[in-house]
Amino acid sequence: MKKSVLIIMVFAMLQLPGIAQDASKEIVTTVGKLDKAKTVKDYQELAVNFLKIAESEKTSWLSWYYAAFCNAKIGWLYQEDGDKIEPFANLANEQINKSLSLLDTAKQKKELSELYCVLAMLNQAKVFMNPATYGREFGPIAFNYIRLAQKTNPENPRALYLLGWEKFYTPKAYGGDKAKAKELLTDAKQKLEINAAVGVYPHWGNMEVMDLLKQAR
Amino acid sequence: MKQVFSLIFIITVVTGLQAQTVITGKVINNKNEPLTSASIRIKESGKGVKADSTGAFRLITSEKGKKVLLVSSIGYTSKELDLLLNDSAQYIKVVLEDEAKLLGDVIVLGAGTFEASDKAKGASLTPMDAVTVAGSGADIANSLRALPGVQQVGESEGLFVRGGTSDEAKQFIDGVLFPNANYAAIPGIMQPARVNPFLFKGILFNTGGYSSLYGDALSSALILETVDLPDKSEASLHLFPTSQGLGFQQVDKNKQRSAGATASYSNASLYNKVVSQKAAYFHGPEYISGDFNFRIKTSKTGILKFYTNYGYNNVGLHTPDIDSSNLLSAFQVKGNNVYSNLSYKESLNNNWKIETALSHNYNKENIQTALLTNEKEKLYLPYSPFREKNDSITNESNFINGKLVFSKRLARRQAFRFGSEYINNTARQSTDSAKSSYTENAVALFAEGDVYISKAIAARIGLRSEYSGLLNRFNLAPRISLAYKIGNGSQLNMAYGIFYQKPAGSFLLQNENLAFTQATHYIINYQVKASNRLLRAEIFYKTYKNLVSTDPLTGNNGDGYAKGFELFFRDKKTIKDLDYWISYSYLDTKRKYLDYPYQLSPSYTTPHTFSLAVKKFFPELKFSANMAYAFATGRPYYDMRTGSDGKVAIYGKGTTNSYHNINVSFAYLFSLFKKWNDFSGIGFGMNNVLGSNQVFGYNYSYNGNNKAPVTLPATRFYYIGIFMSFGTDRRDDFINQNL
Repeated sequence: MKKSVLIIMVFAMLQLPGIAQDASKEIVTTVGKLDKAKTVKDYQELAVNFLKIAESEKTSWLSWYYAAFCNAKIGWLYQEDGDKIEPFANLANEQINKSLSLLDTAKQKKELSELYCVLAMLNQAKVFMNPATYGREFGPIAFNYIRLAQKTNPENPRALYLLGWEKFYTPKAYGGDKAKAKELLTDAKQKLEINAAVGVYPHWGNMEVMDLLKQAR
Repeated sequence: MKQVFSLIFIITVVTGLQAQTVITGKVINNKNEPLTSASIRIKESGKGVKADSTGAFRLITSEKGKKVLLVSSIGYTSKELDLLLNDSAQYIKVVLEDEAKLLGDVIVLGAGTFEASDKAKGASLTPMDAVTVAGSGADIANSLRALPGVQQVGESEGLFVRGGTSDEAKQFIDGVLFPNANYAAIPGIMQPARVNPFLFKGILFNTGGYSSLYGDALSSALILETVDLPDKSEASLHLFPTSQGLGFQQVDKNKQRSAGATASYSNASLYNKVVSQKAAYFHGPEYISGDFNFRIKTSKTGILKFYTNYGYNNVGLHTPDIDSSNLLSAFQVKGNNVYSNLSYKESLNNNWKIETALSHNYNKENIQTALLTNEKEKLYLPYSPFREKNDSITNESNFINGKLVFSKRLARRQAFRFGSEYINNTARQSTDSAKSSYTENAVALFAEGDVYISKAIAARIGLRSEYSGLLNRFNLAPRISLAYKIGNGSQLNMAYGIFYQKPAGSFLLQNENLAFTQATHYIINYQVKASNRLLRAEIFYKTYKNLVSTDPLTGNNGDGYAKGFELFFRDKKTIKDLDYWISYSYLDTKRKYLDYPYQLSPSYTTPHTFSLAVKKFFPELKFSANMAYAFATGRPYYDMRTGSDGKVAIYGKGTTNSYHNINVSFAYLFSLFKKWNDFSGIGFGMNNVLGSNQVFGYNYSYNGNNKAPVTLPATRFYYIGIFMSFGTDRRDDFINQNL
């Protein structure tokens, strides 16, 4: 009889709405879609989805982080179309700040490093609006965030990717170094392979690093 | 055991049935199209569903009571609907509106406008883009000649816009007039600009249809906005054969205050010995200038700025006299000018803002003309035309312009502005034989509103009224601009307005009973921006009324029209690190004014004008190269004089050859003294690389038998020099020094 009661209780419980499993299942599937995203439309849809998850899971820094990442990514995809970038860079800024407010910056250093990466990306997106004028103000800010990302977690492959990107695209006369860039990118690639696709924690970067390494040859 | 299963079954069913509401519905847009994969969920509940391919959805919830249903779809504004969940099934049809946010807001800049702002994105112009056009000689008006709507008038400084004279295009700094943008004029030779163009962070160049906040310009307003506080303190110097100067600026630690000054001296006599000029200069050309500025941040949102500029020029030359075979005509001008500008802006409560500015200009020019023998001795012949060739004229003017504007920001980027301005101008002229003067006190009131008529249409509606004490007349000028957003990045603009201008000082000295001259503008423009490229097409029509006529007496019996079509295309993407733009203008204009016997195409206009400006930067070499090519069809010229019957008539006319010109300029950057953190460079360039024989027009002799071409002072112009600045890392800023 005890066993039956147990079974009944379990059955009854299963009928009740609002079980935590559903929400985390959503973020798992959305992050899965993020791994395959390529176009602006993909990232726009994903940003909307992450926002929905963020609104229901009030204490999660992760969904706000992903929404900001998607918007920053759109800014990068539009780098040759400066007129379109601003709304996405602004959205990314709002969202990453929300994520930051939900984080314990003293203890969660690894997570903070990921946020710094997105901050670097959204500021670099602002530079893409018109490098000659916005570069002066937002270029140094982007570079500072890349360095902060690396400092708070030297093993973060995404910080290494951004550092490599910076070294690759800065002209030699202004401190760029294509050889050093290749080193950093190869290091990033290795670290990405070691911590391959683990759950919902940020694990992007493989596609970006491969693309850049191809150009570095 | 059967009992247990029945119990399980009953409990399952009972708990399952407990408080379940089924909500079905459809999500569509305002074109009745289904929004597939729209998201529908109860707010504050994690569960949601997606609409299917027909836009239909089915949401089952156990929630009860008053809840909010959140419906969203990418590209559309989300909607929240109030629900009352009470176990009964519900059907809802949801219509979502297009989300304008991601498409970018409609911007009302109006037709007939080019904005160059340091907030420009994509292929829109920045002040640096405008100023660094090759060969413009650090003169903003000159560099704007590479944009559509402006005529190539090589023998004169200023902006000749869509058939108007340079006098019909006015320059404003921080809202108030800048009356003498160039040094005292010399017939047939362009004079430099007084103010360093790097003082400006925003250039709004109107080729027509400008805002009600500005007036007294029939053709165009060039609206310049000065920079706020600089980033760092620094000292700078430049050394070129024709110009040398120093400057410094100091910013305090808190970045709340700054001050700066520059001084420069220029004398082309050494250069003229090396590169022979058509005119024989006996003095200079010599220019002395100095400026001083301070800027104070009065609060987080307020700033007080002051700028003053002193300029002196002394140029004396002689050319062969056109009315004789062996005499010379001498011309010398000595000019002194002081211009000051004080401006203040501050944000107030409730989204109000105040902007006020005051400009003052004192100008004194002394012009001496003389007839000389071949041995350079003064000669006086008491009969025309030689009698008039010996003269001394002094022009002195004192000008003040104050303006006050209040603006209020309203919802959804709408705004309302109103204000007033005051002008006081005293002008005096004295020649060997006569003296004349006038004093003007003028007031203007203006109001303007930016409204969104619909999500895709924005309008700017304004009204300006002016009163001139000198003319003792009022005027009322309505102005409307419309902008219609067609799609992502493309916009259709229209503008209509009436623009008044007082007759020029020289006419007011003869007759104060003149009326305002008037122009009415109609403009339509289409613009599309995508992928760091910009395309702009514009059609305009202008009518002129009450233009100043001087024959037989000074009056307002002139009129005219101008119509045309312009294209502008800029591409920063196709070739890496290469930035180029093409502009084309077609102009058809005739006017009867001054002593014209009937409507004519003025000699400063031509039907076709084409410009190509190219810039390439080589980051690895720290080298930049700029080229500007201009082409224009020939310009008309006339032998217009009073005949023996006392009437003005045209005794001869023609059209000059087509105009071709290529200018190049280069800059190479380096750092000489690493420990002083300097930023230096060498700049060099050449104007009229092709050495084309540029004839801008002809001057006729008194009897019409002789005509002399108006051409460049020398076939080519060269410059090479060094510039250095200490104290700021300006590596990203190098073009600043590219003279």
